[in-house]
Amino acid sequence: MSLRALWIIFYEKGENATVRFSRRFSTVEHRAKIMAGSSYVAVPEDRIFLQLLLTELGLSSPNKPYVADRDDCLYRPRSPAVELRLSGKATLWPVLAISQGPLLLACLPLVDIPSEPRPPLANLLSVSQGLTFLAGLQTFVLGSGGKLDREGLDSRVAMLPPLLLQVCPLGTPLDTIPLAGTPTAPMAPTSSVTQKQPAWKTGLYRGRASVNVAVVETVRSMQYGNQSRQDTWDVYGTVTCKCEVEGVLPNVTVTLTLPPNGSPLQDILVHPCVTSLDSNILTASSVDDADGSAFSGPYKFPFSPPLEPFRLCSYTSQVPVPPILGSYQLKEEENNLRVSVSLKLHESVKNSFEYCEAHLPFFNRNQMGVADVKVSSGQLDVSKEKNLLVWTLGQKFPRSREVTLDGKIAFSGSSHGPSDPLCTGLTAYIKLYLKVPDTTLSGCCVDQHLVQVYSSAKPRIFTSRELQSKEYYIWNSTGSAPMSTGQMVI
Amino acid sequence: MATNWTERISAFCCSPSGFLSETSPDTFLSELLRELRDDRASYGIKVLLLSPLCEYPTLLCSSESAGEETALDLMSVFTQCPSRFSQFRCRLLVALTSVLVCSSCVNSQSRASLDFLDLLLRIAQDASDPPGDGTQRLLRATACDCLREMEASCPGLLSQRLELLAGLRQLETSRLHQAFGVLQILVLRNAVYQLTKQPGAGAAHLKALLGGNGSVAWEADQEAVHMDTKDAAMLLSLILGPMGRVPTLHTGPDCKELRSVLSSLLEESYLFTPLCQAALFHRLTEVVAMVPGIPPTVFRAQLLRLLGTNEVCLLHVTLLMKCGFTDSLFSAEDEAFLLKRLVVLSQHPLLSSPEKLFYMDCILHFPENRPISCGDCDEAPPVLLTPRLASVLLPSVFNDSATLLSRLNLQALVFLEEGDEESLGLAYIYDHLAALLHIVDRGGSRDIVVTFFRAAFLFLFYFHHVERYATCLSEQLCHLFLQHTRLAPHILNLVNQTQERLPECKWFVGLLQGLQRVITRVPFGQLRLQDLSSHLKVLARVAEEEEICQRSSLSFLSTIVTQTSSSLCTSGDWRLGNGLLGVCRCVLLHPNLDSILVPLADILQHLAFHYGDTDIRDHARLYYTLLTMLSREKLSAVLVQSAAEGGSQVKKRTLSCVMAESEGLTNTLTIHQTEKPIFHLTEALPGPHQEAENLQLNQEDEYKTLECYRAQLSKSGFASLIVLKYHLTHTEPHDPGFEQLFSIQLHFSHTDDHYEELQDISVPCLFRQGQRPVVQLKLKPRRPYPTTIHVSAIFTSKDGLTWHTAMPDIHVAFQQVFLPLPAPPTWSSASIRDVFEGLWDEMSHETGESCISLFCCQLGEAALKALVEKHFHSFLVSDPLEESAEFRALLFLPPKSHILLKISSTEDAAHFNMATDDCRLLPHMNSYLLKVTSSLENSVS
Repeated sequence: MSLRALWIIFYEKGENATVRFSRRFSTVEHRAKIMAGSSYVAVPEDRIFLQLLLTELGLSSPNKPYVADRDDCLYRPRSPAVELRLSGKATLWPVLAISQGPLLLACLPLVDIPSEPRPPLANLLSVSQGLTFLAGLQTFVLGSGGKLDREGLDSRVAMLPPLLLQVCPLGTPLDTIPLAGTPTAPMAPTSSVTQKQPAWKTGLYRGRASVNVAVVETVRSMQYGNQSRQDTWDVYGTVTCKCEVEGVLPNVTVTLTLPPNGSPLQDILVHPCVTSLDSNILTASSVDDADGSAFSGPYKFPFSPPLEPFRLCSYTSQVPVPPILGSYQLKEEENNLRVSVSLKLHESVKNSFEYCEAHLPFFNRNQMGVADVKVSSGQLDVSKEKNLLVWTLGQKFPRSREVTLDGKIAFSGSSHGPSDPLCTGLTAYIKLYLKVPDTTLSGCCVDQHLVQVYSSAKPRIFTSRELQSKEYYIWNSTGSAPMSTGQMVI
Repeated sequence: MATNWTERISAFCCSPSGFLSETSPDTFLSELLRELRDDRASYGIKVLLLSPLCEYPTLLCSSESAGEETALDLMSVFTQCPSRFSQFRCRLLVALTSVLVCSSCVNSQSRASLDFLDLLLRIAQDASDPPGDGTQRLLRATACDCLREMEASCPGLLSQRLELLAGLRQLETSRLHQAFGVLQILVLRNAVYQLTKQPGAGAAHLKALLGGNGSVAWEADQEAVHMDTKDAAMLLSLILGPMGRVPTLHTGPDCKELRSVLSSLLEESYLFTPLCQAALFHRLTEVVAMVPGIPPTVFRAQLLRLLGTNEVCLLHVTLLMKCGFTDSLFSAEDEAFLLKRLVVLSQHPLLSSPEKLFYMDCILHFPENRPISCGDCDEAPPVLLTPRLASVLLPSVFNDSATLLSRLNLQALVFLEEGDEESLGLAYIYDHLAALLHIVDRGGSRDIVVTFFRAAFLFLFYFHHVERYATCLSEQLCHLFLQHTRLAPHILNLVNQTQERLPECKWFVGLLQGLQRVITRVPFGQLRLQDLSSHLKVLARVAEEEEICQRSSLSFLSTIVTQTSSSLCTSGDWRLGNGLLGVCRCVLLHPNLDSILVPLADILQHLAFHYGDTDIRDHARLYYTLLTMLSREKLSAVLVQSAAEGGSQVKKRTLSCVMAESEGLTNTLTIHQTEKPIFHLTEALPGPHQEAENLQLNQEDEYKTLECYRAQLSKSGFASLIVLKYHLTHTEPHDPGFEQLFSIQLHFSHTDDHYEELQDISVPCLFRQGQRPVVQLKLKPRRPYPTTIHVSAIFTSKDGLTWHTAMPDIHVAFQQVFLPLPAPPTWSSASIRDVFEGLWDEMSHETGESCISLFCCQLGEAALKALVEKHFHSFLVSDPLEESAEFRALLFLPPKSHILLKISSTEDAAHFNMATDDCRLLPHMNSYLLKVTSSLENSVS
């Protein structure tokens, strides 16, 4: 349940990888040595570690097409825990590594069970703890912007030592790195208070009480327009809260409700601050066969809020139809590509978008020359790079709830557009970007009156909901489209 | 100095070994400690100075005594540090813990560690926090964590303080209660574990433990706490899996006290951070598993809360609980629910990819209530995981490569379990593989290429017996190769790995035949020059297979060498020629050589006459001669690479290997790394000191002996060498491949800068059965301190390969640096005594770096005499005629230091009066004397 060492690595295309921060926890190492006995493998110095890690993750020598050490088909990097092959037969295991953009974080958890024969990852609690710790560290280092440059990284890294001293002084993490940087000095509770302050609550709120609950649903879809391929779509939602309530351990209850015939919320995951759960809430699962008798709410979540905004719960839902049904047809003609698209907004979805755009990218072709394309609604633009049509549908579909695009495109440009190994020939897609305020597909909502706060002052309560899309693809039905899931096959 | 501390510390942390090679650990440590005590240094810098001690305490304090001294120093720094520098004080506690734990002071319960423990307990209990100020709380939290770490490293250390800790946790209302909580549960767990190891321990003992009185003095605990520091078992987690054995404590149902402690901890678990909750539940699980009197159902109330969260570690700890308690806590419905939950989480859109991969790993090691197999390490899908349930985890081309491979592996295991070769699932998997291949074909990135070949290997590994798919894959690979010959190394790698890992499967032969077919059928006009070297590489590999007929390969070769004689042959590209010869060479070894002798001879002859490169022509001629002149047996004896009898050296090298660019050639040109040391240097018995080395001196005026002696010291190179003799011997157990070694080049590198660089030493040969060669190490000190020297060697083994090997370090002890006074041989012993007197007088003034010192120990007169005889005999300068109770020894330490000893025995002690002209030698001398006298003291007593 402890970490032997921790690394923060910055790399730009694998070329200039450097260890920007590393920390070894000597007392944990001491224990590792005692426990492993003769099979003990010491942690190598940063320079060597970096090289080995990059090789294992396939990031070393990016310009060489084949490197035996890196590309052998026998190795299957068992991400998230990789094994570094040191000189001789010794290996360093399990090195946890997570990466995002140019940032690569790694740690080496202590193996607290006999290491011969190699135990499964699942038997090491330190692995999940290490993952949690690394994820927290990643959020901290990336900061709010999410984008990272070398200077930004250095300034974040400079803030780390005092924070580590608080949350992980000797290698056993007590908490993740606090997001807001240095946590506020905890205010001493007044002597009359007998309740204990939760360790995850960095201070106490003073002021007017308010609770803000937002439901955001995301819809994904793969539509093929093809008899042999079933279209797929799914919906998942998150409920985020920001609670400003006085007290050491205030009680708040948020209740989610569904419309009378709504399909039940599934795969519910809650924040650890939720104090208790009804077993009915957890049983519905997307991998089960839908059962008419399933529990369909109301879903009650009693909790004691932390100070910062948090994700109270998430769920998935099986809605009967996708919000927009599309069809996309391409036909190769002499020197031209004939394009025909139609999009139909389902009648149950509110026809009021914050935005709705359809993107039609073209790969492995020359740049567009003439694009003689007409749309029945909205506005069409050709991107600056001349390989993408952007169809802006605006805030509303027309009364018929159906829009079409038709025309011919000649790829007569002089230079090549972008290439993509997936979208060759007539394999092409439309990607939809949409956001609809004040609606959810599942019908899930938080009633203001069903947000209960057990405190003396009456709190202000805000609720909101929203639908957005992610990975919403409509594939050209005249080309072969890659399958996104095999579930339907079986 | 102060200005560059930031740089120095970061240089140290980047590469401690590199940094310490420029200085010595002791020097660096003393510099650090000096700076820490310096009032002028800022606390910002001081915090930084503690990093080396926190991260690498064992490098700086290599012995227990060094750790002890450092800790005492740090503790005095702590007491003197004003309380407002809380960052520094916290960091100091961490450094102290690191030093004491890592130098084993805590385990041996040294004075410093006891004092430190007291200090920590005092800080932890000190609730006098000035209001609105968090500094004291931070210090207390750090102290708690230090206590926890000490308990973790030395289980049982705090077992008598359980009641105190429980009280502290209960009273604490600030966030600090968590720190006490995790400390309390760890101490409790260790204490219960110790009880299980005590025969006859039961409920009463447990009760006494929980009510343990904190005021009992520490010293009294020592008997009660029997600590076997070497017992790693105590550090190990007890929750290993369904088959793990847990030691138990039989208490009967009556363990009220323990129950109440557990329920209070469970009740407050919600207030802990997820990471600490997970740790808490893990320890609680261990405790409950050890005490059968407590039913596992105490956890029941928490389970839903833990299972519902999005925190990976909380779900994980529930799985570990299931591992430990199986059906005594989890019903069959629970089990089904948990598995479904894992499947859902393994593909949940809101979770990060590492988390999902981890959940997938958990599925393959799912702790079933009734496991069928007990193999803990094998991946096996649980019985409840039906193909239908697993179908949500089918791979798709939209997955990242790690996810894709993990999913493929999981599905393969599931289908294998089903045993249905006609299943739609298997068809889907194959389609998926084909889709990947399609992407590779369309120019996928390097990552996709590697992923595809790994996926292909996985597929073959599990389903090579399904003929339909295996054949189809083979065909598609051939087609792929023809389109992208740059993939040759990947394809050959796949061939070799399937051959090696699936010995009963002949799929790879089929693939090679297919490759041969597509290559040889390429119409000559469509053959691209840049593809040719890949083709030849593949054909060479094809020729290694006995079952494959080589006729078509040869006609292909023949076509390219004859039909294009104008361009290809005359251009004389060496690489290409080598590729051609490589194929020919493999064919020469083919068992069906007789049937293809003529076409092969034709090709070789053509090459020998027409190829544009002389080297290639020569080689072709040689092959031609061999082919036409030698019998089959001789030919293969010359060419075949028979496996050497040694395990680690795969192939014997023969001269012919260098003729083609082959594995053999690469092997001979590469320096190989041995897996373990092959030989080492053992100290040869000390012969007579090397007086003759430098002492070519003239007779000087005897009356001015000291000046004379001084004068020769100033000559450069005078008496500056220490010669150490070693035997070069094989290590045990020996490796038969390395019985006879040649041209051994020993390379030495210092770990510090106290000595001049050493020259490499060559040893002509080393035979296991023969005489052990003597290696003379000529050390030239800059400062005569003990040191460690890294040794490595390059040598040639009998089969002609060159190897590099690391050898065990050589440790040069302080006493090995001693030399007798380098006086001219003609000097009388009286002159030497004069030098002694003169030097002693000078040094007693303690000017400059001179100083005197006294070392005392309890030794009888006889023992002392024996000791002097044994260790200082060659350095004695006393007058043998004079019946004095005092021995005088003069140690010369090159290049120009001396230690003078007057050793005498009084009634109760032996006195070693010392004088030296370099006071930095005294600590080394002290520890040396301590060593030689203590061994004697022990033997006397």
